[in-house]
Amino acid sequence: MTDNPFPLSRDNLLKAYRTMKTIREFEDRLHVDFAEGEIPGFVHLYAGEEASAAGIMMHLNDNDRIASTHRGHGHCIAKGVDVKAMMSEIYGKSTGACRGKGGSMHIADLSKGMMGANGILGAGAPLACGAALAAKKLGHGGIGISFVGDGASNQGMFLESLNLAAVWDLPVVFVVENNGYAESTSVDWAVACDSYVDRATGFGLPGVTVDGTDFFAVYETAGEVIKRAREGGGPSLLECKMIRFHGHFEGDAQTYRAEGEVDDHRANRDCIKNFRGRVTEAGVIAGGELDAIDREIASLIDASVEEAIAAPLPGAADLTTDVYVSY
Amino acid sequence: MAEAKARVGIIANPVSARDIRRVIANASNLQITDRANIVLRLLAGLRVFGIERVLMMPENGGIRGHVLRGLRQANNQGDGRFPAVDTLDMAVTSTVDDTCRAARLMCEAGVAVIVVLGGDGTHRAVASACGGVPIAGVSTGTNNAFPEHREPTITGLAAGIIAAGLVPDDVAFQRNKWLELSLGTRREIALVDIAVVAERYVGARAIWRVEKFRELFVAFAQPDAIGMSAIAGLIDAVGRGELEGRHLVFGPVACAAHVIRAPIAPGLVKTVGVASCGRLVPDEPHAIGVEAGSIALDGEREVTFGKEDRPSVTLRVDAVRTVDVAATMKFAARRGLFRTHQLHTSVEEFATKGGK
Repeated sequence: MTDNPFPLSRDNLLKAYRTMKTIREFEDRLHVDFAEGEIPGFVHLYAGEEASAAGIMMHLNDNDRIASTHRGHGHCIAKGVDVKAMMSEIYGKSTGACRGKGGSMHIADLSKGMMGANGILGAGAPLACGAALAAKKLGHGGIGISFVGDGASNQGMFLESLNLAAVWDLPVVFVVENNGYAESTSVDWAVACDSYVDRATGFGLPGVTVDGTDFFAVYETAGEVIKRAREGGGPSLLECKMIRFHGHFEGDAQTYRAEGEVDDHRANRDCIKNFRGRVTEAGVIAGGELDAIDREIASLIDASVEEAIAAPLPGAADLTTDVYVSY
Repeated sequence: MAEAKARVGIIANPVSARDIRRVIANASNLQITDRANIVLRLLAGLRVFGIERVLMMPENGGIRGHVLRGLRQANNQGDGRFPAVDTLDMAVTSTVDDTCRAARLMCEAGVAVIVVLGGDGTHRAVASACGGVPIAGVSTGTNNAFPEHREPTITGLAAGIIAAGLVPDDVAFQRNKWLELSLGTRREIALVDIAVVAERYVGARAIWRVEKFRELFVAFAQPDAIGMSAIAGLIDAVGRGELEGRHLVFGPVACAAHVIRAPIAPGLVKTVGVASCGRLVPDEPHAIGVEAGSIALDGEREVTFGKEDRPSVTLRVDAVRTVDVAATMKFAARRGLFRTHQLHTSVEEFATKGGK
């Protein structure tokens, strides 16, 4: 093997691949199983967008808190939430991450700094500001990260959070995952200021746009904005321009997309395929090693689904547990 | 009556100046509406000398929308100070590829001048694809060593004078050098500088980690420039018109021949060690001495290489023409072109009337 030209160690390159591939397999499996009618509620899949979650989360530790979106599975996996507990949660089973009472859009694991996926658009931003304020007051060096989509970035909560972060100088990063569509509405039509960098500037924080399908571009850029926040340099906004391979939700007919649009993305802008090509061509990791990881992940996802199906639903007695908090 | 053919193209790509230098330094972020206002000021300047139609690059970033709104509002008020704007028929990718494609199409459409909003990177993209059409640069980028800082109304006036055929080429245009990179079968150009850095990935593209700097080639280098060329400019400046460039090899500060503080990006002044700084003569390929790394063209990493790629850099003179706004305006003033509304006098007509 030759020397490593990348900014990550070989172990971390393998970790990044494993994270992205786990997300892809998890989502592609849900895509199939949801169509069978086995899964309650809605699922919104993250396939195609993995480089964003992996490139950002590689810089975080359990002290750092993230607030996710309705499309949160990828963020959960990259932040270290247990895959089996996630699958059970999506199946609504008592072995799930939230005992089966949250479902796809409310997976949380505070021990991993994952404050939750969120069915309310833009609602993660003030939570991330709160986590950042707590980190600043406690002085433990943690940061908050808020993920929103291009659609939710128009929500008042998100815009108020940009202002709050700027005036309180919070250690927070606002990640706008711009996949081009708010459900079925094109970003070109629905975002008046046209550029998220412009929008951040309007609130007094720097913004940067990055190709969210390029793991290394996300990794390096995220490293700088996260370091800036961690060292007291203040908040910033990171726009990841990306692509979702599936519809807004499962069952979406996607009539708003151009013919062949997704095929072109899958062929040329697949972040995992491109990552794999680069690390193997550089001679840092052999294709066989990655194939072995692929097999492990396939087994993990199979086992997750089998265990989720076999697990019991929450009982009637669970109805009020974990719902109310005693102070 | 047939519509007048567009004689001027305008390229304003909204994806320029959005990279990491806004976070690691304090690089400017010219907002979309500001960029649209710049286009409107250019258009107002262009119309003065009879330019009726202008070709613009399509984009989805909002510039054209704001420009068209401005034109509509002016028309509603009966204000005829803007030319009509046509949009090139091309798919939009929202990447730098749009800039290259638009430059190529404008060349094919036979425009006399392409006005470019951007910094060194955007100008590089246009120069690589415009087929020799002269460029009038408006500085709106991150590093702006190549385009000059100037009020766009004046750039529009000068471009209009040129497109109307009112000024001879030897007055209107400056000849510029560029650097050619050869890397295996790949050929690239840079208008200002080619930097070789140790990082062997493209990643966030910008370069700012001075400990990774290995070599630098510059076509020109001024002491008051921003960006990598400033390093050469502060050691041994070389002008745009001189028939040579510079080649620098970086080295550890502890044992370097030159240790200087240089503004390598907006707001980012770093101490760098330079082991040697020599002349780069035209048309002689200069092999890159580093075995592996990545290459930044006009400030952004574009390509990685290993020793099997055998990259080399060649300085070319007379490679690309730019509009000399100051000389054009001076010529126009001396000829009295601004003194009358009867402005459709060609250079030849003017000469026959005894003007000089």
